[in-house]
Amino acid sequence: MRDFFESRRFKILIVIAVFLAGVMAYAGANGRLTAAPQEVLSVLVEPFQWVAAKVSDGAGSLWHKYTSVDDVMAENEALKEENKTLKEQLVDYDKVVAENDAYKSLEAIQEANPNRTYASAFVIGRDTLDEFGGFTLDVGTAQGVARGDTVVSNDGYLVGIVQEANLTSCKVMTVLHPSFAAASVVSRTRDNGILCGDSAYASQGLCTMTNIARDTMATAGDMVITTGLGGVYPPDIMVGSITELIPESSGKSVVAVVEPGVDIETLTHVFIITDY
Amino acid sequence: MESQRKRRRQLMIRWMLYFLLLLCAAALQTMPGFLTIGSFKPYFILAVCLAVAFQEGEFYGALFGAVGGLLWDYTAGRTFGMLGIGILFLCFLVSVLVQLYLKPSSVNFFLLNLACGWLLLSTDFLFNDLMRGYAHAARRYAVVILPEIVVSSLLAPLILLLVRRIAARLSPEE
Repeated sequence: MRDFFESRRFKILIVIAVFLAGVMAYAGANGRLTAAPQEVLSVLVEPFQWVAAKVSDGAGSLWHKYTSVDDVMAENEALKEENKTLKEQLVDYDKVVAENDAYKSLEAIQEANPNRTYASAFVIGRDTLDEFGGFTLDVGTAQGVARGDTVVSNDGYLVGIVQEANLTSCKVMTVLHPSFAAASVVSRTRDNGILCGDSAYASQGLCTMTNIARDTMATAGDMVITTGLGGVYPPDIMVGSITELIPESSGKSVVAVVEPGVDIETLTHVFIITDY
Repeated sequence: MESQRKRRRQLMIRWMLYFLLLLCAAALQTMPGFLTIGSFKPYFILAVCLAVAFQEGEFYGALFGAVGGLLWDYTAGRTFGMLGIGILFLCFLVSVLVQLYLKPSSVNFFLLNLACGWLLLSTDFLFNDLMRGYAHAARRYAVVILPEIVVSSLLAPLILLLVRRIAARLSPEE
């Protein structure tokens, strides 16, 4: 064993360890997660994850079919559809009312943009170390996805942002992540704030909206949408509804706890806005 | 000549199977809903890397561990190289310990998985949760990370069995 430490093999291991440390420092300094060798690994592992996800979906749906009550499920789906339509109408109505007020002058509030392009994507992986609901999708730069693209659910609710895009897959940071931040507004009262994840609420599937004015008239149940300020996220994307309002410790503002309109942990399919 | 060619082929197939096992472990580890217990699910990549290091020695085990770690970096969204360096080091250490001090038994493998899992995930927790000041980090460590380590270590001997079978079937007869 002592000879091993003087051998060429040990030196090779040291070189590899130093190389990994150097690449890690480079990736970290450039704000990236991956480097070229890891993108090669992502191409290799993505087919396995895709198959595993399909098997998981199939097994899950089979079990669901035999244990759920069909009538109750049908009624539930109909009610969800109706609720979604009503909430969308509420957002449109609030937008029309708000345009008669001084908020019309704000550049951030825009009309709905019909020029958005979408990429359909399936969830193929959720790692055990990712505690904020992050996941891997089966589309990447080959399908036009880029880092920073917005991810929305099938119903149009904000899910997160593409954190890293490889050739055939991409990683998504969800609204539950503490590093997530998006300019948002309460649809009814037009109170601006910053939508961000919070580790205190992430385990319950909730996020927060901070920097809301202290004298806000917002209440539980109000819808939250994005404003498009900063150009990172498209405007008027539904986020979710407020569940409670908590005065911030300094008393200068209010923090709203927001329940996203979609259950992040059980998502299996999303859309990525590749252009808007 | 014939036996040398046969040996080389066996060696190549053996390592291909190890790598395939690693890819399967990565896929199972990230499979949505698979073996999810509450808010945690077990990991398998570390067990595969340690099992190969157990079987193949410190040099090749460490190299394999580095590749496994890089794969885990990708699936977990960690900075490239973090887990790679960690598992490289752990695989080297485990292999040396088994060669010098410990019996290569399943019980020891379970205990080594426990210790290595605790070291690796605690370091990851330190850099990615504690140092970033996330709220309820301590609670998450107790409720998610520690049970994850225990459950993953309990499943690890099965992976060692699989690796040993591969090695036994594809090793040259002595």
